[in-house]
Amino acid sequence: MLNIHNLHKSFGDKKVLKRLELSVPKHSVFGFIGKNGAGKTTTMRTIMGLLMADEGEIFVAGEKVVYGNTKTNRHIGYLPDVPEFYSFMTASEYLRFCGEISSMDRSDIKSRSEELLKLVGLEDEKHRIKGYSRGMKQRLGIAQSLLNRPKLVICDEPTSALDPLGRKEILNILSMVKENTTVLFSTHILSDVERICTDVAFLNDGIISMQGKLSDIKSKYRSEEYIIEIEKHKDTHKLMRTFPKLKASDNNTLRFNQKDYSPFEIIQFMASNDMAFTKIEKLEPTLETLFMEVIR
Amino acid sequence: MKTMLAFIKKELIEQLRTGKLVILSIISIFIGILNPLTAKLTPWLFEMLADTLAESGISFAGFTISAMDSWMQFFKNAPMALIAFVLIESSIFVKEYQSGTLVLAVTRGLERHKIVFSKATLLTLLWTIYYWLSFIITYAYSAYFWDNSVANNLLFAAICWWVFGVFAIMLIVLFSTISNSNGTVLGGIFSVLLISYLVSLLPNTNKYTPTLLTDGYSLIYGIKAVHEYTDALITTITLSLLCFVLSIPIFNKKQL
Repeated sequence: MLNIHNLHKSFGDKKVLKRLELSVPKHSVFGFIGKNGAGKTTTMRTIMGLLMADEGEIFVAGEKVVYGNTKTNRHIGYLPDVPEFYSFMTASEYLRFCGEISSMDRSDIKSRSEELLKLVGLEDEKHRIKGYSRGMKQRLGIAQSLLNRPKLVICDEPTSALDPLGRKEILNILSMVKENTTVLFSTHILSDVERICTDVAFLNDGIISMQGKLSDIKSKYRSEEYIIEIEKHKDTHKLMRTFPKLKASDNNTLRFNQKDYSPFEIIQFMASNDMAFTKIEKLEPTLETLFMEVIR
Repeated sequence: MKTMLAFIKKELIEQLRTGKLVILSIISIFIGILNPLTAKLTPWLFEMLADTLAESGISFAGFTISAMDSWMQFFKNAPMALIAFVLIESSIFVKEYQSGTLVLAVTRGLERHKIVFSKATLLTLLWTIYYWLSFIITYAYSAYFWDNSVANNLLFAAICWWVFGVFAIMLIVLFSTISNSNGTVLGGIFSVLLISYLVSLLPNTNKYTPTLLTDGYSLIYGIKAVHEYTDALITTITLSLLCFVLSIPIFNKKQL
C-alpha cells in the first residue's frame, strides 16, 4: 500500500531522515515507532506531500507522490497529531465541507458523515468546533480522515495528547476501521502499538532499525530467560548458592537462562528442599525491551 | 469547479460568522452616507464658523454645494475604505497557515491552485460589493439632493478606483503566498503602493502607474480625459494578473 525508497530529508545541517526504506502492507495496522524527534512526523508529512524530500521516492497505492501536486492524497486519510479545523463550523458542516472538496456525491457525503459521526460519538454534537475538547477534535479528525473511504489512513501520534479514556476511545475506533483500510500509525506509546498493531517499524536516528510483523519480531527476539518469584527471601540465598548463575532481579525474584538451568531442575530442587515459589514465567520480549534494544 | 465552489462557500461562511462581513458592510454604508452628508453639511458648517472666520477677515459669499462635492468626498474617502479593507482581509491566508487548517484541506486532495483562486475570487467579490455599495449609496443621495450629471466620466472614474483596489487584493494574494506573517504581507502591499506613488512623481511615468487610477478628481472635473488613464489601466491590470499568476507556483511549493 505504501512504499518508501531511500528517503532523505534534512533541515539545515540536521539530517532527519537517512536512506529511509519502509513498506506498509495492505490491510495492516502499522505501528511506526520512534522516540520524539526521530523523524516520524517528517516522514508522514513527506508522504502527504506537505514536505519536499531531498532524495528518494514514495509510492502510495502504486502512484508516485509528487510534492506540490499531491494527487496521491485522494487515496489517503490524514490525521495530524493536533488536527485543526475551521472552528466556526459544526462537526457535520466540517465533514460536508471535506466531502465537497473531495468531490464526493452529495448523498454519499450525507450518509457517510452520519455514519462516521456515529462511529466517533459526535452524532448529537450541534455546537461549533471552537468549543470542542482535544479528544472530541481527535475523534472528528478520525471521522474526516475516513470520510472518502481512503485506502490508507495516516495517523500522526493520535493518542499522545489524550488522557487514558480519550486514548482508549481513539484506539477502539482505529481497531474498528482496520477491516476496511490500511492504517499507518506513528507513536511513542508502545502499549498502544501492542494493543492494535499487526506490523511495526522502529525509526531511530533517521533510519528504520527494525521492521516486520509484530508477532514475527516478538518470536525472533524471544528470550530464553525465566523469572521465578520465591516466597521466602532467605530461600533465595540458598538457591543462588546451589545455582550460581541465578541473578537477583529484586528482593524475592530471581532470573535465569534456560541454557544454564532448566525450570524443571530448579522447581525440583525447591520441592525437595521444602521451598515455595509464588510465580514462575518465561520472559516474553515487550516492545519496550525491543525499542530500548533498537535505540541503544 | 465543484471543489472550488465548496471552498469559496467555506470562505463566505467564515466571513459571515467571524463578523467580517458585517464590519465591511458597516464601513461601506458609513462611507457611502458620509460622502453626501459631508457635502450637505459643508454650508451649515461654514455658517456656524462664519462669525469666527469674519473676525479673521475671511468671508464666504455665494457658496453653493453640488454633487461634485459629494463625489470629491467619495474619492477622498476611497483610500480610507481600501486601507480598512486591506487591514481586515490581509490575514485571509496567514490565519490559515498559523492555525494549520489548510493542511487537512490539502491532504484531502484539494489542489493548491484552487485555494489561491478561491481566496482571490472571494476577496475580489467582497471588494466589489463593499466598494460599489458605497458608490451606490453616494450616487443615490447625490442624485436626491443634487444632480449627478455635473460629474464627468463618473462611472469610469469609479471603475478606475475599483481596478486599483483589485490590484491591492492581488498584492495581498501574492505576499500571502510568499510570507507567513501578516506584518510582512501588509508591509509588502504598502511598499509596492508607495513605490507606485514615488514612480508616479517622476516625469513621464505618471501615466503608467497604478496610482493614477486613484485620481478620480481630475476625471470628474474634466481636468483629464479618459484616454489619459488607458496606460495606467493596462499596467494595473497586467500587474494584477502577474501577481495572481506568480502566486500559484509559489503557493504550490509552499510548506504548510
